[in-house]
Amino acid sequence: MLALAGCFIAASALAAGTLEDVKPAGEDRFRFSAVVETEGAYGIARDRANKLEFLIDPQLEYRFSEDTRFTAIARLYAEGFDHLEPGQPGQREIASNSRRVLLGDRTDMELRELYLSTQLGKAHLTLGKQQVVWGKADGLKLLDVINPQNFREFILDNFDDSRIPLWTVNAELSLGKSNLQFLWIPDRTYHLLPESGATFAFTSPLVVPQAPPGVAVDLRPIERPKNILTDSDVGMRLSTFWHGWDLTFNYFYHYADFPVFFQSLSLAPSGAVVTVSPRYERNHLFGGSFSNAFGDLTVRGEVVYNTDRFLLTRNRPDSGGVTKSGEMSYVLGLDWFGIRDSLVSFQLFQSWLLNPTSDIVRDTSDTTTSLLTRRHFLNETLEAEVLWLRNINEGDGLVRPKVSYELRDNMKVWLGFDLFHGTRNGLFGQFAQNDRLVTGMEIGF
Amino acid sequence: MQPKMRHTLIALFLLFPLFASIAAAEALPAGDEIARRINARNEGEAVSRHVTMSMTDRGGTERVRETKGFRKYFGKEKRIVIFYLSPANIKDTAFLTYDYPEADRDDDQWLYIPAARKVRRISASDRGDYFLGTDFTYEDIRKETKVGIEDYAWKTLGEETIDGHRCFLVEQIPVNDNTANELGYGKVQSWVDAEIWMVRQAKFWDVAGNPLKTSQFKDIKPIQDIWTAHQLISENHKTGHKTVFTFKDVDYGRNVKDEMFTEDALRRGF
Repeated sequence: MLALAGCFIAASALAAGTLEDVKPAGEDRFRFSAVVETEGAYGIARDRANKLEFLIDPQLEYRFSEDTRFTAIARLYAEGFDHLEPGQPGQREIASNSRRVLLGDRTDMELRELYLSTQLGKAHLTLGKQQVVWGKADGLKLLDVINPQNFREFILDNFDDSRIPLWTVNAELSLGKSNLQFLWIPDRTYHLLPESGATFAFTSPLVVPQAPPGVAVDLRPIERPKNILTDSDVGMRLSTFWHGWDLTFNYFYHYADFPVFFQSLSLAPSGAVVTVSPRYERNHLFGGSFSNAFGDLTVRGEVVYNTDRFLLTRNRPDSGGVTKSGEMSYVLGLDWFGIRDSLVSFQLFQSWLLNPTSDIVRDTSDTTTSLLTRRHFLNETLEAEVLWLRNINEGDGLVRPKVSYELRDNMKVWLGFDLFHGTRNGLFGQFAQNDRLVTGMEIGF
Repeated sequence: MQPKMRHTLIALFLLFPLFASIAAAEALPAGDEIARRINARNEGEAVSRHVTMSMTDRGGTERVRETKGFRKYFGKEKRIVIFYLSPANIKDTAFLTYDYPEADRDDDQWLYIPAARKVRRISASDRGDYFLGTDFTYEDIRKETKVGIEDYAWKTLGEETIDGHRCFLVEQIPVNDNTANELGYGKVQSWVDAEIWMVRQAKFWDVAGNPLKTSQFKDIKPIQDIWTAHQLISENHKTGHKTVFTFKDVDYGRNVKDEMFTEDALRRGF
């Protein structure tokens, strides 16, 4: 992190020395804003309160010039029932300098983002803790893997809230109609997974190894990458606008954010024990994205090849209960704007394992679809939408009807449902008992 | 006086009003010519401005958005970018459009949604959709003070005075049903300033022929020798909703960088 701080200071000095662009007036130099949000959820199936959260996101910007600014975003988060992250989460997946400050079981504070953004000739630098988002897909992630995610509400939380910002050197070079981006991420922070007992703790055999009946499980601490240089992530993206097409070509060398659960079976005096040793594994991601508009229709998509996907198997002794395979994935999205003030959006996600073994838990190919219909009323003050995500292989899914209304200039309220269906084997079906009614309010200052 | 000459004089006397009105009509420029003069008006190669968008519903509830906007010509292609600065819950929303000169080529549009932190390509074909909750359509935003000559049949109806300024009253009828549906208008009447060739007022009817909205261009004054409207008002007669755009810090002399009009610029914000 010291290296990143050095870059940060050097860029500040360099930017300050090249401020030939327009300087904002004194009152425009500082910008302070804040968003206050409260959301409650009531578990329908379990007939109990699911969550009652309250958060404040203050944001401060200081503008050295129109091209150079410093941004800091903090968060105070409180949750009344302590069901999403019971007790004080260990945060073992998070690098020590990126962890939240826990103020008891139900309240925490977090430095969400802290970065300097500046233009140096044709280069644009963003240095510090930030979110970097790749890709064109909604809801499910193929290219949007730069930042890990907090899964305390599975994928129900707003991605902007659930994404975990990382300390990153983000350099972009303008090449006329194209843009070349380089990322260096020394921050070794990974997905934050709900611990056992949390409302949205994972139980599906697709992602959690299942111990045979009567066999004890010894879950070891996650083995984290240690070296700030050799274990950092690096990425590159070339984006261009070509004959109406928005195109990107992406490469990311990284630790996959889900730990791999290596397992070994041993015999103890008390009986058989499965020792689970989670650790993070490297992956090369090669991919690209595209989008274009044709009349009322926009077409968008992503294609990704992951060299090293680690997947759970049914037989564990030889291979540690996992197998490695390459994986090809794509998402194709169609957005139709043919009815005024309305959007109908369909997405097809598919992935194939290139070197599957016969005993893997998941299917060799996997298909998920999404359908979103949204309509605005009353000059976009009222919005109604329904999102339906469905996994074809497992036959499970998630339906999310929602209505939101802008009560005042800076105040929005909403009411919706999160309705899961399917068996506990599926990623969605595992939460079939977590259907909930959600209501919330957001105020901006 | 001979009877034949008398009859001729009487006939001329009776026909004089007709000749006079024809002569007066001929003195008015044709609708197409007025449209061309509107679009020929200098609006600078580039401009930056702060725009306050005020939206008021029938019940009097007002929503206010502060924005920063830039426009630049790349040859005949016009690019516009708008960054939302406040309120906090929609801050960093940004809109980018490429308005191409070819009539048969759809424009390109992008919208940055801060909640997703993603730039979305959006369809530009339904030009009559209202722009982010305002009473101005995407087409209004793209055209600014220019007009779509090829979209309408133009006809000069006469002369009237608006805000003390002599204006030509022009009727615009969409060239076909498809264009009318795309624009959302069945008829438009515009009052065009005869001196500076700017629209000062426009009335719109929907495709069914019902009164739809009235737009006014106020506080028109020269900035760096370019006539500039500092207030745009649009009132929807069906919904009772009203939008006022108030411009300040208009600057045609500023170096607006090409890189401002890119997806990456939308993502970085202003």
